[in-house]
Amino acid sequence: MSEDLDENITSLFQRMLPLLSSLFLLLLSYVPLDFSLLNNIRPVVGISCVYFWLLHRPDLFNLWSIYFYGMVDDIISASPFGSNILAMLVLYVLITNLSRFFNAKPFVVMWYGFAALALVTMLCRWLAVSVYYSQFLPLSMLFFSYMVTVAAYPLISLLLAFVQNNLIADDD
Amino acid sequence: MKRRRSLYVHLSHIRLLAKKFALVILFLSAFALMLVNKTDTVIIEKTSTVATDVISPAIDVLVIPAKMIAKVYDYFRDLKQIHKDNVRLREENRKLNILYDRFKSLEIENKLLSDLLNYVTPEESEFITARVIAEEGDAFSHSMIAYTGDAPVKKGQVALSDKGVVGRVERVGNAYARIILITDINSKIPVMAEKTRIRGILSGDNTTMPRLIFIPLDADINVGDRIVTSGVAGVFPAGLPIGKVASVNKNEIRIKPFSSLEQLEYIKLVNYGLSGILGEDDETGQRP
Repeated sequence: MSEDLDENITSLFQRMLPLLSSLFLLLLSYVPLDFSLLNNIRPVVGISCVYFWLLHRPDLFNLWSIYFYGMVDDIISASPFGSNILAMLVLYVLITNLSRFFNAKPFVVMWYGFAALALVTMLCRWLAVSVYYSQFLPLSMLFFSYMVTVAAYPLISLLLAFVQNNLIADDD
Repeated sequence: MKRRRSLYVHLSHIRLLAKKFALVILFLSAFALMLVNKTDTVIIEKTSTVATDVISPAIDVLVIPAKMIAKVYDYFRDLKQIHKDNVRLREENRKLNILYDRFKSLEIENKLLSDLLNYVTPEESEFITARVIAEEGDAFSHSMIAYTGDAPVKKGQVALSDKGVVGRVERVGNAYARIILITDINSKIPVMAEKTRIRGILSGDNTTMPRLIFIPLDADINVGDRIVTSGVAGVFPAGLPIGKVASVNKNEIRIKPFSSLEQLEYIKLVNYGLSGILGEDDETGQRP
């Protein structure tokens, strides 16, 4: 009985690991740093995490997880509430329809895929927030943020791959 | 057997439909949240404040190890600088001592003249020092979350660094406050050129250098001019340093803030006893 309970708890924890690890990286991305360049242009960790998990373990990172994840990002951020949720839902739709082109392909292909989908996602969010404020937000900041996000993807995916390979059991 | 298979097909169809339906609902709810947020209702503000209070401690925990790593790096980087800094600080201290003597004599002179004019001195300000636990500065917003503990903080209070104004308190939770930086798109501060006293509004646009707007067309403003708060609207007192003019073009004037907004570890939240256009009865952002 006790073993069953332990197994259930471990299984639940493992199923929640994609969301928990993504939340950890998200919170970490808001920690103040002493490097001025990094503070102004940080990688958009949320998009990277959603992309990784939807490609590798869509069974553990479903629509509701994405919604919750976007909401947490909206709470920490001062940008209009709902804009992060919207961006992540856009990414969800893109990945679920296009994952066949990137899934189970060499890492470079997945990286290119991320670069393409992150651009569309960030532009969608930019458009939504620009409409919200009735003025165009600075594209230069968005461009640098996008470049940093794409450049940081290998590192983020390396961390998440470690979680996936070492801490999450395969469904057999 | 055949019946069972058709039931399976039927169920998978329903599941697919439900998934699509859920997606549409979630999209609509995201739009609805943005729309409600736009109307600036108290409910959204209060909910968001409570949620920030719940999540902020988690970031707060991460700040300590991150700071430690940064401190070790800084220690080795700064070793080289220590000797140079020492010489520079001694010189600076000598100059400051001279200035201090001058300041003392001016203070006495000012008091005497104020007494003569029957001038009513403004209320003394109160401040607390708050630790920054989260920062963001991208194309979408420029803000920070600071740990204020149970100190009395009010919405609209001025956030200062050692060099000048960095922003204002936007929301106040139980132990954390959200500060909107002067570079944020929602920030509009009445300012003036220190030398010429020309007034305008410092308007953030989510870039690192806010714009100076609503100034006369023939205004005499040049690169390097100091910009300070004007005190109009009664939220910020007059004379607080903000930045200096970085560029003057035909269509816009850009201001470079004195403070490095992206490198703030601690900030001062000052209560000047001014409520201005924010109003005294604003319940959304007050903690007794």
